[in-house]
Amino acid sequence: MKVLVANIEDVFREAAARWTLIAYFCLSTIFIVIFASAVNLDVVNGALAGAKLFGKDVEVGGQFSIEKLVTGFESGFASLLYVLSIFMAIFATAHLVPRMQDKGTIDLYLSRPVSRTKLIGSRYLAGLLLAASNVFYLITAVWLIVGWKTHVLHGKIFLAGGLMIFMIASLLAFSFLIGVITSSTGVSIMMTYGLAIFSIPLMAHQKMEAAFSSDWSAYLLRGLYLVLPKVTEIGMAVFAFVLGQQAPEEAQKAMALQPFVTTALFGIACFALAAVAFKRKEF
Amino acid sequence: MNEAVIEVSGLRKEYRSGFGRRVITALDGIDVTVRPGELFGLLGPNGAGKTTTVKVLLGLTAATAGSARIAGLPVTNPESRRSVGYLPEGHKIPNYLTARQALSIFGRMSGMETAAIRSRSVELLEKLKLSQWIDVRVKKFSKGMTQRLGLACALIHQPQVLLLDEPTDGVDPVGRREIRDILREEAKNGVAVLLNSHLLSEIELTCDRVAVLRAGKVAAQGSVEGLTRKGAKYKMVAAPIDDALVAAFRESGAGVDRVNGHIELSVDNVEHLNALVDQARARGAMLTELAPLRSTLEDVFVDLVKAPEVQP
Repeated sequence: MKVLVANIEDVFREAAARWTLIAYFCLSTIFIVIFASAVNLDVVNGALAGAKLFGKDVEVGGQFSIEKLVTGFESGFASLLYVLSIFMAIFATAHLVPRMQDKGTIDLYLSRPVSRTKLIGSRYLAGLLLAASNVFYLITAVWLIVGWKTHVLHGKIFLAGGLMIFMIASLLAFSFLIGVITSSTGVSIMMTYGLAIFSIPLMAHQKMEAAFSSDWSAYLLRGLYLVLPKVTEIGMAVFAFVLGQQAPEEAQKAMALQPFVTTALFGIACFALAAVAFKRKEF
Repeated sequence: MNEAVIEVSGLRKEYRSGFGRRVITALDGIDVTVRPGELFGLLGPNGAGKTTTVKVLLGLTAATAGSARIAGLPVTNPESRRSVGYLPEGHKIPNYLTARQALSIFGRMSGMETAAIRSRSVELLEKLKLSQWIDVRVKKFSKGMTQRLGLACALIHQPQVLLLDEPTDGVDPVGRREIRDILREEAKNGVAVLLNSHLLSEIELTCDRVAVLRAGKVAAQGSVEGLTRKGAKYKMVAAPIDDALVAAFRESGAGVDRVNGHIELSVDNVEHLNALVDQARARGAMLTELAPLRSTLEDVFVDLVKAPEVQP
């Protein structure tokens, strides 16, 4: 526990000193302020009578249920936050392993009575906590603004935050693996973003497989789909989770078990490989 | 005699390099022991295996063969490092931390409680003359101050063993003396200190025993006094020393050289030396100084490093 606390202190102090934490929260705040000032709603007797977006009137088509509006807003913003939070989390945490592995720094950490697995594990949890604190900040702010504008408080968006952290955890494990192997923050960021972007179209793997002329390339694509994290499906699950029954059928399908299990397995495998590589590494 | 806290026996380390996996032997069967309260110096030219020895002791690199134990535990067990304080050469304490924060993080990683870290930090920074800088970020520190903070980080958890790589690097002469005093005080309290340095004068001033490494082997090991003593050679200052006395000494089988108003005697043993002293007195010479002749550690080091390697 003391090792974990020491690593959390180290990670947060570094983030604060290097302006990462401030930039991280400033960017989030800019997003929140834009959102708060852009949306103006006119709620009469629990129903939406009028709405303005960036000062312009929006056609609401008569009296609109405010409950539906809140879930609609929150699901849309949860999807946006999903992309934003993943992008920022990787950017803010990818340096954690490469910088620790610097010559002259790693000796200071490894000369303590801590196993390497525990050291990298506590560093990972500290990084995840940093990312989770930003997700929580973003979600709480959006939730409060929606509540202030509509007088309706809807808690599902917080659980959607859990899904965002789940996806970040899986990608962070991959970023740690690359960090251990290459000791480079730049490569770690590029490879993780590359993986996330590459895995997006794989959701349509069945359509793509049908277009391939050879069986082996179709199998390869399916294999990649099964192994890699399901960035698109989990994003759709975030949307569907907040929207509930109103969510389109395709989004509801994303809430199946398979994308979650394979994404979790990918993260666990990456972290296990990172821990083994770190344990075997000679400094 | 206390039991050794650092025990290295038959330690061997091979690295494989390049595509042909060429084998490079960094350590070739090293045996070293350091006891509590001892100040032990590790000497050797670049590439002799000093840093590799320390790295193996800290578990930073794995030994190919042999054994290394600290405080009775094999170095592969992370618990062995609970008794170790380490100051690496060219260390980089994260520069976004203040002295207090660095000691807090490394103290906690060594299993210390918050209250103990707080009081020990104040005590150490006071001792290392950094108490005014306790809440200043490391990036504002001079090289000497960073080095002293590194030493504080190594000492925070009151280790039984101190492994120090060039501890006085970048420190001014006054600071160097202060660090030496601290190391002596730690040794007096029973801490075993293993010092790895290129500054032979520093080792000579600080250490009780040394090992000289050459090409991964221990070329010589012993007390600084023992290694620097020039066999059975003595300096005699007496008056008068006339040619008849010198001739009498030579007749007894002693080697005699006149050097700047005194003579240097090479004798077989202490009895032989005493016989020469009796002879000088019998001839009316007044003895004012008789001392064993010593080389500097640097002379011993250069001789050992330059000597042709004896093949088994």
